[in-house]
Amino acid sequence: MRAQLRAELLKHRSTRTNLGLLATLLGLVLLAVLLHGLALPAGELVGAEDQLSIVVGWGAKLGVLFAGLLGAMSMTSEFRHGTIRPTFLVTPQRSRVVFAKALAGTSYGSAFGLLATAVALGAGRIALGARGIESRLDLHDQILFVAGGAVGAALWAAVGAGVGALVRNQVPALVGLCAWLLLVEGLLLGDLFPAIGTVTRFAPGAAAAAMSGLEADELLAPVGGFGVLVLYALVGTGLGAVATARRDVG
Amino acid sequence: MSGPNDAGIAPGGPVVVARSLTKRYGATAAVDGLSFSLREGTVTGFLGPNGAGKTTTLRLLLGLAEPTAGEALVFGRRYRELDHPARLVGAVLESNDFHPGRSGRDHLRVLALAADLPADRVADALELAELGGVAGQRVATYSLGMRQRLGLAAALLGRPRLLVLDEPANGLDPGGIRWLRDFLRRFAAEGGTVLISSHVLAEVAQTVDDVVILQRGRAVASGRLADLASEGTTLEEAYFELTAGAA
Repeated sequence: MRAQLRAELLKHRSTRTNLGLLATLLGLVLLAVLLHGLALPAGELVGAEDQLSIVVGWGAKLGVLFAGLLGAMSMTSEFRHGTIRPTFLVTPQRSRVVFAKALAGTSYGSAFGLLATAVALGAGRIALGARGIESRLDLHDQILFVAGGAVGAALWAAVGAGVGALVRNQVPALVGLCAWLLLVEGLLLGDLFPAIGTVTRFAPGAAAAAMSGLEADELLAPVGGFGVLVLYALVGTGLGAVATARRDVG
Repeated sequence: MSGPNDAGIAPGGPVVVARSLTKRYGATAAVDGLSFSLREGTVTGFLGPNGAGKTTTLRLLLGLAEPTAGEALVFGRRYRELDHPARLVGAVLESNDFHPGRSGRDHLRVLALAADLPADRVADALELAELGGVAGQRVATYSLGMRQRLGLAAALLGRPRLLVLDEPANGLDPGGIRWLRDFLRRFAAEGGTVLISSHVLAEVAQTVDDVVILQRGRAVASGRLADLASEGTTLEEAYFELTAGAA
């Protein structure tokens, strides 16, 4: 398993894919945070809860999404380029490969989450400061936001690896992750269907958001979010490993 | 050193054994009760028209696909039960199983790490495949011939005793084909075993000792090339006679 983990870490380092993902992630975080911080009416941005959930929260949400994409691509790009054949020839115990990918993904995913939330905090402070709005986020809020964003993204990379192992085909896997996190959970969690919203708090994206302290009155407590997301990461990776061990490789 | 005992396999037994190997996809049998074995130190040509089941058989042999019935054993075990497969078996199934953005050297380093092989094997394999000068470049910049040789370098990383090559001469220029033929003969002369699939007779006739001829998932002939092509018939004539009626 250590050999597989070292191989998976080198796979991440030896292409420019992760750098491209990271650059896109940070660019989108800047765009989203600056737009919301600069354009929304000042009256909506005075409370700590509003500043966290409406403005800087994008750092955590996008960090989680891109960590999921990174985890999924670690699996799907092997099927796309055919490297899955040499990979499985060298390690025919295929579940080891999936678990190694999930673990390697968590290290890069946590870096994604850390950088995205840190950049979001900085950009939020600049945007609000430019309008003379005082930042209400105390040190505790900021530490929870960054730490929760890093750990949430780490776990989401493992979820992504599981999704990639189950779906195998790159485009549906990536589109599915984007659609789920950016659209589906938001629809289910909103005011539209309050009854469904209480269940959706336990969805994987909502659990990650809870870890960063977002929408505290609606979502789980950070520790609860962590527990729920750990379960998703374990179950997702486990299902991916089982499916990968059983299915033929073309 | 990667002697046989490293991988816990005793020498002397048959290198590859397929017994009643069968793979069905729905109602179609791609491989249908196929049995054959490979002698140590020989090059065996795995011949047959396109769609005869050659590639499917190789995937069953290498644990990438599970047989519907029967079994395929490599050094006496199912491939997926081998502890250090890279030290026993090297295989090239497709000519382009690389990430285009990764360098040739990093491709090999990844596999060497996963197989727990010493790092100096990467340089050895690059030198053997004559890729030293381009090893740091992204595979996207490689010609087809260079990709073929990189695939072979990857297969040889663990200094295996069995080489499995699926249509390795596709896209090679005449010089490359000759290089491959000489390499395989040398590999077998040193005690290695080779299974090489092809639908082009001419390219294997000068390379192989034995042949297994496949037709609609079944072996229609197997044995020494010399026996098959004797009595005034060439291998080509024997091949067409045996596979008559195929597309």
